[in-house]
Amino acid sequence: MNTVLSLKGISKRYGRIQALNNVSFDVPPGCVFGILGPNGSGKTTLLGIILDILKPTAGSFELMGQPPSADVRKGIGTLLETPNFFHYLSGERNLRINASIKGKGYGDIDAVLEKVNLHQRKKSKFSTYSLGMKQRLAIAAALLGNPDVLIFDEPTNGLDPVGIAEIRELIKKLASEGKTIIMASHLLDEVEKVCTHVAILKKGELLAAGHVDEVLVNEDIVEVSASDLNRLEQLLKNMNGFSGIQRHDNNVQLFYPMGTAKLDEVNQYCFNNGVVLNHLQLKKKSLESKFFELTGKVSDR
Amino acid sequence: MLHLIKLEWLKVKNYRTFWIIFILYLIGIIGANYITHEIQGMIWGAEAKKNPSSAMLKFILGNPPYSFPQVWQMVAQTSSYLLIIPGLLTVILFTNEYSYKTHRQNLIDGLTRYEFISSKILTVIIISLISTLLVGVTALAFGYTGDKPLSFERLLFIGYSFIQSLNYCFFALLISVLFRRSGISIGVYFIYVVILEFVLFFVFKRYVYNTGYFLPVESADGLISAPLFERGQKEFFPKPEVKYILMTCIGYIALYLLIIYRKFKTDDL
Repeated sequence: MNTVLSLKGISKRYGRIQALNNVSFDVPPGCVFGILGPNGSGKTTLLGIILDILKPTAGSFELMGQPPSADVRKGIGTLLETPNFFHYLSGERNLRINASIKGKGYGDIDAVLEKVNLHQRKKSKFSTYSLGMKQRLAIAAALLGNPDVLIFDEPTNGLDPVGIAEIRELIKKLASEGKTIIMASHLLDEVEKVCTHVAILKKGELLAAGHVDEVLVNEDIVEVSASDLNRLEQLLKNMNGFSGIQRHDNNVQLFYPMGTAKLDEVNQYCFNNGVVLNHLQLKKKSLESKFFELTGKVSDR
Repeated sequence: MLHLIKLEWLKVKNYRTFWIIFILYLIGIIGANYITHEIQGMIWGAEAKKNPSSAMLKFILGNPPYSFPQVWQMVAQTSSYLLIIPGLLTVILFTNEYSYKTHRQNLIDGLTRYEFISSKILTVIIISLISTLLVGVTALAFGYTGDKPLSFERLLFIGYSFIQSLNYCFFALLISVLFRRSGISIGVYFIYVVILEFVLFFVFKRYVYNTGYFLPVESADGLISAPLFERGQKEFFPKPEVKYILMTCIGYIALYLLIIYRKFKTDDL
């Protein structure tokens, strides 16, 4: 199995609205894959298609290297959009339905309820649960049968800060167990904290996909200038520690992985080598601005 | 197939609304027949006292309706007025899935679309079987209270009762698949079955000779006429032969199922 999920030109149209336009990307096994995008960008539509809830207008996809089928879905734990349970049944009885469809016994139910801190309320009706508890039950349902692949659509929706932190820990723990996690989110911060890979959607267009470090390059920029820019550039090229260098009209920019730029060292190095700087500044490029930069592209077209 | 029935059982086992309506419906079958039995008993008893061999009586009522063999037909016919209740249950069970979005979750968890819709169809068949069984038992019980010996001559009507119930329920399922929302599905179903089709029936009767019996629900109702006023019925509502009505009714059931499967297979859910 080379890919857990491989999308090939998926498009979806609702009447005049193009919800997805020719989206293709691959999800490698063992990664935490974030699908990032603002509200209405097509994240849930995409997951709905993968799960046979929605029919694509065009395109195809493979799950676990096979054409999609119900049997493949049995091995995937999923939380799609909202917790979907019978209101008149208790949390435990609802999970029995999930377990019986997945072809798993009821033995797992207590354990997964324990994992999401819902064990004490397992006999209560779903309709009496708070929003956060409903979300936890949905995550518990996804964990049934210990699947190797998990799909979470906005997993921290409706949770309080403690709950959000718990779910993040849970996701990290699942990832460390070698599970593949596909997660849709509009929260950049969430993706940044847990994902290894990311695909960015905007109005149904795929803007970028790949490793988080490549897509959401998050770096420190050190801007330096001296009276002799050519000499400065030559000098800096021999210095270690930065990941990129760029010559501009009246300065040179050095790129560092986030948090590793040390201005005093740069200054010291230049001074020791006989170049006196007349400008030295650290510029932070936030993930946020990167995200807006990326998602802004489509609306500008 | 068994795992689909088990799945449905997990869904309805603790669903109080379903059980209350279903049990009231089953009591209703017995109750409706008891009422009709009492009223006819009074008419028949009073008339029979006046003139034991009344020609009038024979003309109006035929033989005593709650005695063998008419009792099979009579109970099937009387009970058929309640068939809208299993239809209602079908709508509730199906549109619940849409309201709770559990149909999505079921597919996500690994049910095929075909399996999901089949589980509902199996439920409908089971509800119809239980209902028909009770109609049969009720007929048998009332038959024994009558003065004629046990006879299975008109037992076929219990079979018709089953087909009629399937027609009502699958029609309800079709409406639910088409409209999805419980309120509108229940509304459309009731208005069509209770009012609209009778309107159509009389419009057809007036303008297109006697074709009202081939309407969807009427084709089911037409299978079982009351064993009363049989001459009058023949006079005012001449009917096509039952075998044609039966073929129509089964044809409609097949058509409902075809549309239900097609629609559910290709829809965005």
